[in-house]
This record gives sequence, C-alpha cells and structure tokens, in this order.
Amino acid sequence: MDYILEVKNLRKEFKNFTLDNISFNLEPGYIMGFIGPNGAGKSTTIKLIMNLLKKDGGEIRIFGKDHEKYEKEVKNRIGFVYDENYYYEDLTINTMKSVVASFYSNWDDSKFNEYMREFDLNPKAKIKTLSKGMKMKFSLAVALSHNADLIIMDEPTSGLDPVFRREILDILYSVIQDEKKSIFFSTHITTDLEKIADYITFINRGKIVFSKPKDDVLQNYGIVKGGLDILDENARKEFIGIRETKVGFEALTDNMDKTRRMFGNRVLIERATLEDIMVYSVRR
Amino acid sequence: MIGILKRDISLLISSKQMIIFMLFYIPLLLFVSESFVPEILYFMILVFYTYMMSTTSFTYDLTGKSKYVINSLPINRNELVIYKYLSIFIYFSITVVYAGVYLWIINILKLADVDYFNLRGIMNAIPTIMIYVSIVFPTFIRFEPRVAQIINIILFMTFSIISSNISYTGDKGALKYLGVLKWEYIMAIALVMYILSLLLSIHLYKNRDI
Repeated sequence: MDYILEVKNLRKEFKNFTLDNISFNLEPGYIMGFIGPNGAGKSTTIKLIMNLLKKDGGEIRIFGKDHEKYEKEVKNRIGFVYDENYYYEDLTINTMKSVVASFYSNWDDSKFNEYMREFDLNPKAKIKTLSKGMKMKFSLAVALSHNADLIIMDEPTSGLDPVFRREILDILYSVIQDEKKSIFFSTHITTDLEKIADYITFINRGKIVFSKPKDDVLQNYGIVKGGLDILDENARKEFIGIRETKVGFEALTDNMDKTRRMFGNRVLIERATLEDIMVYSVRR
Repeated sequence: MIGILKRDISLLISSKQMIIFMLFYIPLLLFVSESFVPEILYFMILVFYTYMMSTTSFTYDLTGKSKYVINSLPINRNELVIYKYLSIFIYFSITVVYAGVYLWIINILKLADVDYFNLRGIMNAIPTIMIYVSIVFPTFIRFEPRVAQIINIILFMTFSIISSNISYTGDKGALKYLGVLKWEYIMAIALVMYILSLLLSIHLYKNRDI
C-alpha cells in the first residue's frame, strides 16, 4: 500500500527522554489524530518528521520517499502548523507571505487571498498585533495555500476558544474532501479528534500504545464500573487502568465483549471517550 | 535563496536596533576617530556594517522559535548554510553603496573629509570579512547561542582594538608593520579559511538538532 507518511522504528534519545522505536502509517485521504499527554513525545515525533531533529534510528518516508534524502521535494508538499506562532513578529502578514511563498513551487496567491478574506485577516497588519487565534489562522492559511498533500499540525487548537477550534476543524474537514490529501494532527484536546479523525495514534512515555482506526478504538474500549468485591487479582489483569473509590471502581478495558462475558451484569460498561482512554492508560 | 534574502532584508529593515546602528555608527566612528587614516576608517565601516548584517541574519535561523519556520520550508540544510556564506558578499555590496552614499553626503555637507569610495579599502575589507565569518559562523552552529555570543563579542572586541591600532597614525600604530603583508597572501589565507569554514558549517548544521 502507498502510504503518505510511514514512520518505522523511529528512535531519538535525549538525556531524560527516549522516543522508543515508534511506528505508524498514514494513508492518503485520512486524518490521523496523534494523542498523548504532555511530554509523551508528540512534538518530538513531529520535529523528527519535519527533520528539525536528527533521528538516532529508524526510518521516515513521506510520499514514499526518504524525508532526509528528498527533504526539499517532500517539504514542498507539506503544510505545517505549529502550536504557537513561529513567524517573525515584526513582519506584516503580506511580507511574511511573500517570503514563504518564494520557497514553494506551487504557491497559490489567489487561494491565500481567499483565506485572508475568509479569516478576516488584514494583510497589512504586523504579526505581533494578531491575537493567538488570528496567528493560528494565518499559519493555517499559509499551510493551505501551496497545494500541500500532507498537513502536519502540532497542537493547532491548544489555547483557542471553542468557536475558533470548530472553525479550524471545519476547514480541515473540507481539506480532506480531496481524497489525495492527509492530515496528521497532534493534540491533547481529544474531543476535537472525535469529530474529525479517521485514525488515532496514541503515544505515551515515548512509546506507541496503539495506532488504529478511530471507530475500532471507540468500539472496543469501554469504561467498566462495579463494586470493589469483584476487583480481585484476575479481574485487575483485565483492565488497562483502574480508579478505585470507597464505594467501587472504574476501569478501562480494551475488549468490552470479553469484559461483558467475564463479569455479566455485575458491572456497568459504557463506551470510553478518547479522553478516558488517554487518562486511564497514562494512569496505569 | 531569494526567499531567505528577502526575509533577512525585511527583518533587518524592521529591526529598530539595526536601524539605529545603520544610522548612527558612521557619525560615531567619525566622532571618536579624528586621528584615523581616512582609508582605514572607510575599511572599518565596510567591515563592521557587513559583519553586523551577516551575523544578525545568520542567527535568525539558529536562535528563537522562528528557526522552526525556515527549517520547515522546502530548503535543505546544505543550501541554507551555503546561502549564509554567500550572503556576506550581498551584504558587503549593500554596505559599499550605503556607506558610499552616507559618506558622500557627509563630504558634500563638509561635515568631515572622508573617503566615500576607496578601492584599496574595499580590497582589504573583503578578506577581513571572510576571515571573520569563517570563525564566527561555525561557532554559532556548534555552540549554544549564549556561548556563541560570548565568542562573537570577544572576536568583535579583538577586531575593534586591532583595527583601531592599525588605523592609529602615531608612532605606536601598527600600520607601518603591515606593509610587509601582501594582499594576495591575505586573500589566499582568507579563501582557504572561508572554504574550510563553509565545509565545517555544512557538516555541523547537517547533524544538528534545530
């Protein structure tokens, strides 16, 4: 299968953290949500994909090509949005645009101007005068104005209000209507992903916990609620994470059918949200 | 490369510090250096202006969070380093024009009698700038920004003192001792240092975490 992004046994070692041989793939036409708590390795992975950090091992292929060997060619087809504004604060939107545009062979000025109007951005405004939401919209406009086939976003919605976040998600959803394009989207606001993601890759402490279709994840994972009397050693082994209180327990399972068979009506099982999955997995 | 040059010049123009330096450094030098040889004064202006513009734009892609932007754009690391090294000649040309016009106006207004175009000054400034960046650029790539800045300041101070001494016209000035050095030798040394430094910087930047 032709993947738009392939990460194989990727490794990066720091003094206090190791990204430990992670692997996942993204197909064309899909949105992959990359979730994990702070410090799990999300930004490190994105920096490695963008070749901002040098990998210690493994392989990254984008559009089927090695991301270092074909760096320029590959980056020409990537749109990036980072968690905060990294553009030069003293420049105006127009100047910054003309700087960035000169790097891309497929820059589309009319598309950029369209986004400027849609986002209500003044091209003469200095970047430092924009609000956080406006800066994010500017980054998004840049990322979407050179016909990129892969959009890589590192926590684009963090710190934004729900209205802005919804707007951004709607735009991403419209981008994905072109079945050749894909979005790789890291966030810890998991509700955003429940709306738009097709695949979820969960990373924790530098290791991939799972990388699966979102529907599979939401179908199999469940929150189990029951009394403390059934929580013996065997039962504990069935759960990914457990939260105990004086009156009972709540736990996460990745196999609701098996849990139902084991405990019958002694427990209550509800579908887990991505947030539940993240919280319980981190707590284990 | 045009994109980075456009960015660098836009940033230099929008920087208040750089505008202050561009406007007031020449009058300051004229004020403190009454006893300087005009040719060396011209040479110092060329070297300092080119150096300031080159190092300021060089650090844009190594310090601060905006370094992530340029390194995420479709440009490979080798190209970025080569551009940085070649850009010193562009900044040098800008300086020759800018300082020429500035000093010509000073002459016209009879504020001071200074060189506004001097071929020997230009010829001497070229290898000096090449030697200077050959030392400074790899330090910026190899070391933490704070350490690199300290090395840079030490080099800048050393150069300023040496230049001031060379340009001093009195008996203790070093100008008379430099007559033995031929320009061709200095240029050859500068060229070798520049190429070695470029290769070293390419190697260092290629393996560096941004």
